[in-house]
Amino acid sequence: MKIKVDSKKCSGCHLCEMVCSLFHLNIINIEKSAIRIKKDDLNTSLNTPLLCRQCKEMKCLEGEKGTKDKAKKRFVWNRIHAERCPFDALSILEEKAYHCDLCGGDPQCIKVCTPKAISIAQ
Amino acid sequence: MVLDRKVAFINLTDRSAEIKSIPLDLRKKFLGGRGINMYYLSQSYSSKLDPLSPENPLIFGAGLLTGTLGFGSRMSITAKSPESGHLGDANVGGDFGAELVKAGFGHLVITGKSSGPVYLFIKNGKIEIQDAQKLKALDTVETQKKIRQELGDEKVQVMSIGLAGENGVRFASIRTGLKNSAARTGLGAVMGSKNLKAVAVRGTLDITISDPRKYQKYYLKQMKSLMETKWVQALGRYGTPLLFQYANAMGFLSVRNNQWTTVGDHGYALEAEALEPFSTGMLSCFGCPAHCRHRFSMDEGRYQGTSGEGPEYASIGSLGTKLGNLDLQNIIYATELCNRYGLDTISTGSYIAWVMELYQRGIIDQEMTEIPLNWGNGETILELLHRIAQRKGFGNILAEGPLAKKAFGENSKDYLLNIKNFPIEMTDERLPKSFALGMATSTRGACHMRSRPSLDVLGLPEDVLKKIYKGPVSSRFSAYSGKGRMVWWHELLNAVCDSLGFCRFLTVFSSPHAPQYRQFSKWIALSMGLFLTPSGLRTIGERIYTLERMMLVRDGISRKDDTLPKRYFDESIPEGPAQGEVISRDKFNEMLDEYYRLHGWDEEGIPKKKNLKRLGLDE
Repeated sequence: MKIKVDSKKCSGCHLCEMVCSLFHLNIINIEKSAIRIKKDDLNTSLNTPLLCRQCKEMKCLEGEKGTKDKAKKRFVWNRIHAERCPFDALSILEEKAYHCDLCGGDPQCIKVCTPKAISIAQ
Repeated sequence: MVLDRKVAFINLTDRSAEIKSIPLDLRKKFLGGRGINMYYLSQSYSSKLDPLSPENPLIFGAGLLTGTLGFGSRMSITAKSPESGHLGDANVGGDFGAELVKAGFGHLVITGKSSGPVYLFIKNGKIEIQDAQKLKALDTVETQKKIRQELGDEKVQVMSIGLAGENGVRFASIRTGLKNSAARTGLGAVMGSKNLKAVAVRGTLDITISDPRKYQKYYLKQMKSLMETKWVQALGRYGTPLLFQYANAMGFLSVRNNQWTTVGDHGYALEAEALEPFSTGMLSCFGCPAHCRHRFSMDEGRYQGTSGEGPEYASIGSLGTKLGNLDLQNIIYATELCNRYGLDTISTGSYIAWVMELYQRGIIDQEMTEIPLNWGNGETILELLHRIAQRKGFGNILAEGPLAKKAFGENSKDYLLNIKNFPIEMTDERLPKSFALGMATSTRGACHMRSRPSLDVLGLPEDVLKKIYKGPVSSRFSAYSGKGRMVWWHELLNAVCDSLGFCRFLTVFSSPHAPQYRQFSKWIALSMGLFLTPSGLRTIGERIYTLERMMLVRDGISRKDDTLPKRYFDESIPEGPAQGEVISRDKFNEMLDEYYRLHGWDEEGIPKKKNLKRLGLDE
């Protein structure tokens, strides 16, 4: 399971980011969300949702000890691993990074995306 | 925590900033946004306060729920208006309000005047004053880009003025993003008078939530039911231009400075569908599920290569039909020009309509206007926009807004359709009597957003209306009966809505099923553990509206000013679906009597002492 993105449909509302931080951390802070909207708000007005693509071959954890399955289920990551992502998909704030754990199988962000820019792909 | 947000008192003369907590008692009385802004403004408001003096406070205020899962994340900017000379207030969407909150602030009260151009940079509780010499004369979009570049952070949100604000054009706006504007009442000129080019904010602070699980569940429930309403579905598809169609079809549109009220079938050229070829998608303000904002691109024609956001219905009317202009591409371009210069599209259109009618009637001629001012000439409109923003020649006279009547003579006065020295907008209110009363009583002068009971358009059964308004209201759009109650009810609700940071369109505006006090009460309780009853919230609405009225009373405003332009009383609509409609002075007065009674104001429209005491406004 992963979250599929259709950038063209994204309205840039930030609701996905808000519910992500709320669900995982009981706070609202869009900087601490596994999904983030990259906005080109002063030029094309295009918005691009970015989040973990759940790669089979995880470049971010290459050479690391421990099971990758465990890491996949974690929301808070360290910035070193996040910086290895070739897609720049994880949000980083100070020394922490935020990784999409798919909310344990019931992604919350999808429920608030009214233009349907994000959806579940099996 | 929402309730931990601070207020900063910034003085640009001595470059000082004092950061204080917002007392819980003040929150309970005025919530945030417009409400708390009005409280701060009322501390220094007087008839003698010069709007362009350093003493006039320019107040930024995020709504109580701005930056959280609410129905919008808007903010208000408030000061004494250099346009009307009375209360100034403008509400704006976009991402700035939420960023201000993330930076730890609810309100900024800016006074003084800097010796040279500056901008404020606010980040996570800290305030810096930065030099803005390099930003001088830049348009509002370039200013935002340059500040982001200078600060090295693409996530910085900026509210800025353009050339119009710098030049003290009395109807200059304050802008963020490509289109969002705190446009009404000329607050861009107040900002310019302080030598303040922009306010930049950036924040990464947490907002703790009182009951996260129930709050998220409640939000989802509210969002789901909102998205099921026909109104929000249509809004998300077409944006506000869909309202143009109603106004034109029913005959309450301003055409050639309200000499007519419909353009009939010619209106197809400006309807929502006509915008589709230029629309490249829909956008949302921060935290809004409805996405009603168009982004546009013009890939061919005279204005090829222009892209941006908008236009909204208000701009289509104001720069379009009001000026006899039916060229959609010209309207889109003119709107974009206003946004870049930082001009309020509504007031700009109104003043141009005024001088076009003066020109039509021979009250002014080309010796003064420099160019012929013929109705519907798009290129003339663009030329005037440049001259106004640059204060060049005739534009310098127009830049003075209502004060330009000094140059045009006594005969010009009645053709500037205005209320409390603030011009009528893109509509004509002779048909919808509730709209007319709402314009007459609005605390920021002729403005539809203080009350506009759009539900009136729907013609809901009277038993349904009685349930909503708790009293008899006629379901006929053109009737007077009960409309005083309707206006009063919406004024209070909208005051609360603006203080929460919610968007008009997502509360009771065009859908009777949208949230109001009961839902607001729960929202506040679940997010911050503050318990305010639905009726208590309505009292807050009364307090805010009455405080605004009290500031106007200090200016000498009373019943005599709660009126409509002469044209509305004396000239019936000449043709179209609303043909023959005119406002009866007697019936208008009856509506006003009912309205004052419900507000607890005396027959002159002055709030009664016992009511002020009840609302805690008697100190």
